[in-house]
Amino acid sequence: MAQPHAAPSRPAGEAPSQRWSVAVAEVLLKHRVHVVAYVPDEVTGHLLNRLQAQPACTVVCCTREEEAVATVAGAYLGGKRGAVVLQTSGIGNSMNVLGSFVVPYQIPMLLIVSERGGLGEFNPAQVPLGHALPRVLDALGIQTFALTSEADIAPVLSGAADLAFATMAPVAVVLTMRLTGGKTLR
Amino acid sequence: MKRLDAIRRIVPLLGAAAVISNLGRNTYDLYEAADRPENFYMWGAMGSTSSVGFGLALAQPARPVVVLDGDGSMLMSLGCLTTIAAHHPSKLVLVVFDNGTYETTGGQATHTKRGADLEAIARGAGLTRTVTVVTLDEFAGAVERALQEPGPWFILAKIEQATAFARVPRRPIYLKDRFMEAIGTVGI
Repeated sequence: MAQPHAAPSRPAGEAPSQRWSVAVAEVLLKHRVHVVAYVPDEVTGHLLNRLQAQPACTVVCCTREEEAVATVAGAYLGGKRGAVVLQTSGIGNSMNVLGSFVVPYQIPMLLIVSERGGLGEFNPAQVPLGHALPRVLDALGIQTFALTSEADIAPVLSGAADLAFATMAPVAVVLTMRLTGGKTLR
Repeated sequence: MKRLDAIRRIVPLLGAAAVISNLGRNTYDLYEAADRPENFYMWGAMGSTSSVGFGLALAQPARPVVVLDGDGSMLMSLGCLTTIAAHHPSKLVLVVFDNGTYETTGGQATHTKRGADLEAIARGAGLTRTVTVVTLDEFAGAVERALQEPGPWFILAKIEQATAFARVPRRPIYLKDRFMEAIGTVGI
């Protein structure tokens, strides 16, 4: 199906709409996702600020995505549902903890992946892993779903949360550049 | 000091503490010293054990959480110490058993054998309650204090090499379920 071109990477100064951030935060809270670990990213900054403002939420800035996955896994053992917020490149930094811990121990979590390397990308270094992401995760047995519009957020993210926490599985949800507007070229 | 003896010494102190053990020798020796349902045994994810304990401590702030990590694994993920220091969960006790070798993979030297000081690194990361111990009495004393006084604590325990037996069940889902039932977190 032909798709209209994504919003290309924007010049600095043009703020994208953050309605998607509001909707994503709402769904996460509805599903009692109360521990969120992340590695900083311009695209997800607003979402993380919203979550941080919730008293029920513990939001943890990590130094590496593998650490964020392990932190959320530990929180699950301790009775809290969690999500990791990361860029596609961060999935590359998380392979071992996913493959040798989260998957074999059946530890549920959401991987909220801010897409790089797709429509409108300006950095060649972001393309290979961004492009490979769904197949890399699939090879580990992890399902990936994409949010391409605001209308997707409630059904797809909600469904992904149900899938993760009811079936004890990590599930990835990609925040596409079409949804978020992507990263500002600075 | 041998790790198995060290763990045996602290078992009576643990009470309801959750204990998370690093893959390899830490997991083997914890199981050998005292298998208890509040133990969580890692079978993989080298470099992630302290972060798992950190996440658990965030979710269960009232429960003491003791992590048994190793020097090789800690060197793989030093950044996690800065995260733990930034959030400072007060009942988290990080124990790093340091024998200067990657023992499970065949005894190759780690950089702690060539001068890397993990306690100094932990202090540099922002952790303030740190100690290095070399004897069983010092180790037991440090753990006893750490379980009583607010942390997070970082205990670097210098140990010698020793044989170990891998008798822990290789049943990750069973081990997880048993642990979560023991600490009352099933069914969230």
